[in-house]
Amino acid sequence: MTRVRVEGIVKRFGDTPAIEGVSLDVRPGEFFTLVGPSGCGKTTLLRIIAGLLDQDAGRVVPSYLRNIGVVFQNYAIFPHLTVGENIAYGLKARRVPPDRIATKVAEAARLVQLEGLLDRMPAQLSGGQQQRVVLARALVIEPRLLLMDEPLSNLDAKLRVQIRSLIRALQRTLRITTIYVTHDQEEALAISDTIAVMDRGRILQVGKPWELYLRPGTRFVADFIGTMNVLHGKVEGPGPGPGALTVVTDFGERWQVQAAGSPGQPISLGIRPESLQLVPGTNAVEAWNSLKGTVTEVVYLGAVVRYQVKVREDLLVTAEIHNPDFGAICGVGDRLTLWFAAARAIPMPGETGPA
Amino acid sequence: MGRKRRDFWWSVTLLAFLTVLLFLVYPLATVLVTSFTGEEKRFVLAENYHRFFTHRYYYSSVVNSLYLSALATLGALLVGTTLAFAVARYPLPGKTFLRTAANLALLSPPFIGAYSWVVLFGRMGLANRALSAFGWSLPTIYGWRGILLVFVVQYFPFVFLLVSAALRSVDQSVEDAALSLGSPPRRTFRTAILPVIAPSLTAGALLVFMATMADFGTPMIIGEGLRTLPTLMYGEFINELGGNPAMASTLGSLLILVNTAALMAQRYYAFRKAYNVVCIQPLTVRRTSARRRLALTVFAYGVVCVALIPSTTILISSFMPTRGPVMYAGWSLQSYQSIFHLIPRAIANTFILTALAVVLDVLLGVLVAYLLARRRSRVHALLDASIMLAYAIPGTVVGVGLIVVYNRPPIILTGTWIILLVSYFIRHLPYPVRSCTAMLQQIDIRVEEASVSLGVPPFRTFLKVTIPLMFPAILSGAALAWMTTIGELSSSILLYSGPWATMSVAIFTEVFSNHFGTASALASILIVAAFVPLFLTYRVLGERAALGM
Repeated sequence: MTRVRVEGIVKRFGDTPAIEGVSLDVRPGEFFTLVGPSGCGKTTLLRIIAGLLDQDAGRVVPSYLRNIGVVFQNYAIFPHLTVGENIAYGLKARRVPPDRIATKVAEAARLVQLEGLLDRMPAQLSGGQQQRVVLARALVIEPRLLLMDEPLSNLDAKLRVQIRSLIRALQRTLRITTIYVTHDQEEALAISDTIAVMDRGRILQVGKPWELYLRPGTRFVADFIGTMNVLHGKVEGPGPGPGALTVVTDFGERWQVQAAGSPGQPISLGIRPESLQLVPGTNAVEAWNSLKGTVTEVVYLGAVVRYQVKVREDLLVTAEIHNPDFGAICGVGDRLTLWFAAARAIPMPGETGPA
Repeated sequence: MGRKRRDFWWSVTLLAFLTVLLFLVYPLATVLVTSFTGEEKRFVLAENYHRFFTHRYYYSSVVNSLYLSALATLGALLVGTTLAFAVARYPLPGKTFLRTAANLALLSPPFIGAYSWVVLFGRMGLANRALSAFGWSLPTIYGWRGILLVFVVQYFPFVFLLVSAALRSVDQSVEDAALSLGSPPRRTFRTAILPVIAPSLTAGALLVFMATMADFGTPMIIGEGLRTLPTLMYGEFINELGGNPAMASTLGSLLILVNTAALMAQRYYAFRKAYNVVCIQPLTVRRTSARRRLALTVFAYGVVCVALIPSTTILISSFMPTRGPVMYAGWSLQSYQSIFHLIPRAIANTFILTALAVVLDVLLGVLVAYLLARRRSRVHALLDASIMLAYAIPGTVVGVGLIVVYNRPPIILTGTWIILLVSYFIRHLPYPVRSCTAMLQQIDIRVEEASVSLGVPPFRTFLKVTIPLMFPAILSGAALAWMTTIGELSSSILLYSGPWATMSVAIFTEVFSNHFGTASALASILIVAAFVPLFLTYRVLGERAALGM
């Protein structure tokens, strides 16, 4: 198990900065994910760690890892070699004796459930099978570090979940330090020990999946990992209980939240769609922590109903109701009241009010 | 991908540049400079050009060339495009035969095509003599009409192949969408399909135009004194009364100018009009009326039969007893006996020089293609452009350039086989470069990176992964280079000397000394020799395709 440290990496392509001073610490055996929108520099960073690209400044420790397994986005399978030859490729380069190669290839094929397909050509395999060949090819050299660049993006939704579990299970069993790149926040949440959110060549926040979701450090992280409704108000004064505040808006709504601040100070609150509860009508009993609005869109997804509720001209709120009761589905144009628990409002730093 | 490689690929870049500079750019530059040289080697601004444009003897050549090429391009476009559409869109019988036959028509060098029409319809021609027995006669094959016929028959397959490929890349949904939006079929073709295939159409037109501008053998054989730029250039350079290199260079410069202008115009147009098309379901075959189907079938088979006439005539006539230009009914091996008896050296020369040139083309071509595809930089773009010059520059011009440069110290190559090899090598280098670059753009660079990440160093990765994946392109590039080199006439006729005559030169001189039997036998060998590697390539690639490559 290898610890990988990335210190102050800078990379430019011509005049375009790709990575602007990134530092990371990946612990031994950790499943570490770089997530961000396309063009954020995550693949560039991975290629620098893999030694496929030279950085302009900074360093990767250990600097030259010989044993790195790399799994590429579009498989990068060798189309002229059989499945067995593909898996054996790295072993042959290491001059492993032929009988040892045969055993190791068979073992790797078993791990990724490819037994019996060793003599096939890649073109005869499905996308999922090809991805497993590439996985086996990277694992069979017993890498000290496994790097994966969007390995699931070419697969359909069902296979994606299947291979995702396979990758995670293998990584846990073999205890390989793994750095994984994806643009899919849901995939990142599902698979990782630690996630780093990247945007425009910088790391915005590093943390456990639930830390990023429940305590996003910036508006970008809040929006990128899941959906976030952001409400703006002013601190009125201390609320009931320790660490509580009363917040008031220009429209007379009054909220109690767990946050710090002094009276008169502007404050922004983030509320996840599933933290909102929905009461039909606008004569709600609970006056605190509520918003009144009109339904503008209803998306019925079975287990969840997603509503867009217009509170006022410049405030559209998304609410998700899980496991809705039969007959309790609102329609477009219905007036209703949204309510949230004080503990579910997340203070959003760096937000000073509506632009 | 690491610094160790920079040394090797850097030296490949240097080697490629040196090669192109020494054997192409410098000779061509010398031609351009010579065109501005007067007597006693002093510089004159426009003396030669002034003479050219004020004497009908000279300027008629450029008029003839442009006129012939323009008409031939138009004809080839019409025939090639119609045939491509008929085969792609209508239910014609025997489509595989039609496609193969159109491909076969490309195999014989154009001057052999011209000669075959002389065998059939010349003064002593087989068909003419047969018809005269009934008291009929045909219009003469000689002159510009004959040249035009040969050009169209010879070069329409370029257009056919390119347009067919382009049509395969148009998705049926494009047509369906246009029709569903209420666009009538004719308008749909004009507004939805034509724009997508336009780059291929213009590419085909360019190929035909450049090839006909450069064609030396055809007007020589059936032009009967009709002056075109290449024939006049040859005449000015090799003149029994003393050659005039300055005027030959002036003609050569005009050829360079016209062809590069055409090339740049097409590149500019195609670059602006190229669309990325994703094709899942190619255009489907349309139902049509029986009458139209019959008309198209007759047209397609008519075209293809005419296209096959030259090689068939050559093959058959090579087995006929002959005396001078007259062939008699019956069959005999007399012609073959006499060539193996009289000119075995030319056959050996051709095979050895062609093989050497193709090997060199492939070796340098593969490396250069890798550079062009994987290390895009300004330096490599320049290298690309200068190699592609060879596409645009007629063999006659390359030949004159090489002679002017290499018949004086420090390097004297004239009179040796090396100068022939140099011309063959440099003129056909674009084939493997093109085919391999195109292939490399299909091969994901990550496949190579995967190999490096698995511990195989970059250069061994190139040998173990890249080369095997490029194999189909290497084969087809080599086969194309072989096919075009083996029948090369326009520079050989200038560069050969004494014992180093090639088969194409021998055919040419045999035709001019009225030895039609030996000419046919040599031409038959040439056609078969051009065909075999291409055929084998298709077989090998076919099997690989079956294996799922």
